[in-house]
Amino acid sequence: MESGSDKGTGGFSAMDEYETLISTTDADLLKRSWRNEKAAPEILQFESSLVQRSREQIQLMEETVGEFMQNGEDPLTVSLYQMDIDRTVFLLRSYLRTRLQKIEKFMFHIQKTAGLWSRLSRQEQKFAKRSIEDMKKHLEQSVLSKLPDRYKSHLKQSVISEEDDMVTEPKLDSFVICRSRKFLGGLPVDDSGEENPLDMYAGDIYALRYKSIKPLIESGQLDLV
Amino acid sequence: MYGRKACQLVKELENSESGQLTGFNTDLFAQVIEQCDGHVNNLQALLRKMQEVGSENQTAKNADHFGALMHHLSLVRNKRCLMAYVYNRAEIVQTLGWTVDCVLPEEIEEKLSSSEREYFKNHSATLKSYMSDLDIDLALDMVPPKDPYIKVRVLEEIGTVVLSDQLANLARHAILFLRRTDAEQYIAQGKMEELTG
Repeated sequence: MESGSDKGTGGFSAMDEYETLISTTDADLLKRSWRNEKAAPEILQFESSLVQRSREQIQLMEETVGEFMQNGEDPLTVSLYQMDIDRTVFLLRSYLRTRLQKIEKFMFHIQKTAGLWSRLSRQEQKFAKRSIEDMKKHLEQSVLSKLPDRYKSHLKQSVISEEDDMVTEPKLDSFVICRSRKFLGGLPVDDSGEENPLDMYAGDIYALRYKSIKPLIESGQLDLV
Repeated sequence: MYGRKACQLVKELENSESGQLTGFNTDLFAQVIEQCDGHVNNLQALLRKMQEVGSENQTAKNADHFGALMHHLSLVRNKRCLMAYVYNRAEIVQTLGWTVDCVLPEEIEEKLSSSEREYFKNHSATLKSYMSDLDIDLALDMVPPKDPYIKVRVLEEIGTVVLSDQLANLARHAILFLRRTDAEQYIAQGKMEELTG
């Protein structure tokens, strides 16, 4: 590349990000989102445009394979294409599935936390709403309706509780394994009170508490593995 | 002792193999609920008494106060146990919604309470409606795919069916190569097995 001269510090990283951006395919992005979603204890932002693009791509590829089969293309080529489709479809399904399973597990928590609720897609919100209805009805029928008046809430232990203390929440301080995509200096990862910031170089792998690196995952500077 | 029965209920949950359901313990469950009613009666009686006596007699008040607290705490604890019992079972029922197609096998169905059965129906309908909204079947592809085709043996007579790429006669004991996505549903129903190696 000839524009070597304008690689200032800021310019370089912007350039760098641009480079990685155009060299990353949607399949890579999907894989990354899928991994992050699988490893993160809480639900992450729904990648609506990525999912949309992936689905279009899958459809396109399926049409291509269909054409290949009609034209009597080499079976090996067809099979390779098919395998590629299968893998992408698996990633997509597994991504959506993981999210639904998280919604199933933390539905009440997600519902009352606006920041989390807005991370769901429209269909997921519908799913969550219905799941909550179903679960509430079930809990009410089985337990709550049989309990005394002041103990009937499914969110609180009794009317005296100030907070919702009956809601399952994700364990945000659990450890996750993460890999950094670029140099990150002075991460405040230690919550023991000691000053012990961590420097991470690109490609480094660490096991850290999810809570402490949450913003970096959300901004895409760190990947979970 | 207060709370003992509720504890048994939770222990039962703990002792059962993870992901496996045991029969819904209706008797014990009802006993715990009964205990809760007992607690609330005692609690109300004590509260009334405290109001009647007023603040004159300090010692009596304290004793009643702690008595009431005891009943309240036992009640809350019972509630937690009951909810844990029902909720954890409901989570297993949720996973059934992913693996079982609409109709529950009899041996599972008889272990559920009527409310759980209803919950299963509602929840799998919710799941289905999400899938049809997106027009994607999430029950497929539970394991990462290696090969688009797999070798399977047919265990139950299925007959001739139209698969995504061919018209196949799935006779009993037949061994054939099928598209993995086609075969998966039959494998899940136990009508086929995958041959490996």
